Amino acid sequence: MPSDALDAVSEIRELSYAEAVREALGQAMEADERVFLFGEDVGVYGGAFGVSGDLVHRFGKDRVIDTPISELGIAGAAVGAAITGMRPVLEIQFSDFVTLAMEQLVNQAAKIRFMFGGKASVPMVVRLPGGSGTGAAAQHSQSLEAWFAHVPGLKVLQPSTPHDAKGMLLAAIDDPNPVLIFEHKLLYKTKGHVPAEAYRVPIGKAAIRREGTDVTIVGSSIMARKAEAAAERLAADGISAEVIDLRSIRPIDFTTIAESVRKSHRLLVVYEGVKTMGIGAEISAMISESEVFDFLDAPIIRLGGADAPIPYNPVLEKAAVPQEDDIVAAATNLVRRGEA
Amino acid sequence: MPVEVILPKVDMDMETGTIEAWHVKEGDLVRQGDTIFEIGTNKAVMEVEAPATGAIRNIKVETGVPISVGTPVAWIYLDGEAATTPSEPAAAAAPVAAATAVSKTEAPAASVIAVAPASSSLRATPLARRIARQNALDLKTVTGTGPRGRIGEVDVKRHLEQRPRCAPVQETCPAPVAGASEGRLQPFSAIRRIVANRLSESMRSAPHFYLTSEIEMSAARDLLGRLAKRHERVGVPKPSLTVLIARVAARILRDHPVINASVEGEATRFHERIDIGIAMERDGDLVVPVLRDAGGMDMPAMTREFARLRGGMAKRTLTPAELGGGTFTISNLGMYGVDSFTAIINPPQGAILAIGRTIDKPVGRDGQIVLRPMANFTLSSDHRIVDGVAAARFMADLREALENPELLL
Repeated sequence: MPSDALDAVSEIRELSYAEAVREALGQAMEADERVFLFGEDVGVYGGAFGVSGDLVHRFGKDRVIDTPISELGIAGAAVGAAITGMRPVLEIQFSDFVTLAMEQLVNQAAKIRFMFGGKASVPMVVRLPGGSGTGAAAQHSQSLEAWFAHVPGLKVLQPSTPHDAKGMLLAAIDDPNPVLIFEHKLLYKTKGHVPAEAYRVPIGKAAIRREGTDVTIVGSSIMARKAEAAAERLAADGISAEVIDLRSIRPIDFTTIAESVRKSHRLLVVYEGVKTMGIGAEISAMISESEVFDFLDAPIIRLGGADAPIPYNPVLEKAAVPQEDDIVAAATNLVRRGEA
Repeated sequence: MPVEVILPKVDMDMETGTIEAWHVKEGDLVRQGDTIFEIGTNKAVMEVEAPATGAIRNIKVETGVPISVGTPVAWIYLDGEAATTPSEPAAAAAPVAAATAVSKTEAPAASVIAVAPASSSLRATPLARRIARQNALDLKTVTGTGPRGRIGEVDVKRHLEQRPRCAPVQETCPAPVAGASEGRLQPFSAIRRIVANRLSESMRSAPHFYLTSEIEMSAARDLLGRLAKRHERVGVPKPSLTVLIARVAARILRDHPVINASVEGEATRFHERIDIGIAMERDGDLVVPVLRDAGGMDMPAMTREFARLRGGMAKRTLTPAELGGGTFTISNLGMYGVDSFTAIINPPQGAILAIGRTIDKPVGRDGQIVLRPMANFTLSSDHRIVDGVAAARFMADLREALENPELLL
């Protein structure tokens, strides 16, 4: 393929987040016959959120496999396939259902490499559509990524843009170990620049979405996007916010956060998962334990999900997770010293 | 937790303040922002507002007594809090005396309402503490303007910018602590900071010159002996050599107005009264209590006053007024076996007299080498207002008076 022509096209090309994921899946399957898709309604129906789309027609039913409704079965089959050298990519239809697959993910996928002294590995990818905002209530709206970030042996990604969704999925498929990718349902339709070639976004490296000097706002997935929008409004109010998109919460790019806090002296961590015992607590503690502690000029503030199941009522549902207004208010308080 | 009401720092160099009047009494209900007392500094009286809403309890400080900045003076109990006596820092309200009078040229510091926290409950961000460490700054001197009086970076930086006379000249600023620091770092005490600032300023702005005279002390010694007997009869403490020299200096200063003078901008202030400061040490700090109107005192009066000042200093009951504002200073290190030394002028004064020990030395008298008790006197003068000849004349009169004290009568 003439690469110059490809570049020229990719400069202007915009895809939705869902299309970017689909493109990555297609390119990975084209490049490596060991890669196959596995999940409920990923085949003929094209996926509950339309992510796999027409892939079943391009690669056939042997490589895009509709499974029975059994998350434990899907996950167990994927672990077995991965150990034998395949590269399974499975979709958990709603990330909430992953509770049924915990044994395979936490006790098997995460541990096998260590239990067998490196003689076996589990190169599998799990895609998990998650998050609230679709009116799907408490059992279809959760953000459970922190659970898995607690498990050594798993990698946990939360891409926020179509570009990262594609690049990180390809990097995850390359990875010799299990990787979980939490995709926020509200991001599937968002659009962004996505190069056509099969590029990789490195796992474990955060992105500075906006540079600033007064306060560091750390978030991932949809919260990184909300933080960016909030930073725009904060700038109009004379507050210079630096926005860090974590992209990966395990491994976490602590260096980028620390360098930013060293500069801004203030940290706001935003995440949709329940605030208590969440990602924000971990980041806050990491900063407090580090030498960057001496550069803090205000308490570290967490903005997290309410300590409640996600409500069905759309007004309450919105109120249960941090919104752009909340980020603007929290960052303003932090910088203007009204934080307590 | 009851909210502490402390004596706030309302002026840049303020170390102590006096509550002039309480506007509330024990048990009164106050609203945040109500005036609760008036604080007096050497410049003004300012109103202090309640930091919280609740009942005033445990008013600890009487009016008119100078106390340290940051001392808790009362507590405000919030609604529903039991009015028990809270744990208080020991000696919280002990009167203190600053080394020297507060400088008269500083701009007022930030907010009167902001409550500077006491050391035990000092609130400061890690960054504020770090910057303070690097600048050897005592955070107790910084007023916090953050939530609950928390000291932040902005407060420390503002304080450092306003820190008087320090920024422009590097060598007198505390060296930043670079990397791993050796030994123990002790931040300046309030008194040490004032001493450091004033003496640095003196060395920087006053061109010092020094005249030394070796003076025979036989007659002065004899006189001290006779005075001791007389004092004993009338119930006055034994006079010391320092007091005798102060008495002699006070007498001859009358004839040397330029030595009993101060620098005031580009003018010389000639003082009518002779107020002699005596440099003393208290717990490692330099303090200079002043013999007011020393020119009008006889030996018994001066001996009594000197004893009173020394006692008050030890008990820390001297007021700032008693510790500042002299017109001339005497520093005697003879009792430590020092032969002679030069002293730094106590600004804005024009001169200081440094006294070494009295020791028998061979001297020539009438063609013979004889032993006589001799002592070195060194006058440091500010050449802006004192010329060499003026200082020399003073030293000549000092020699004559000490060697022939009867001439003073």
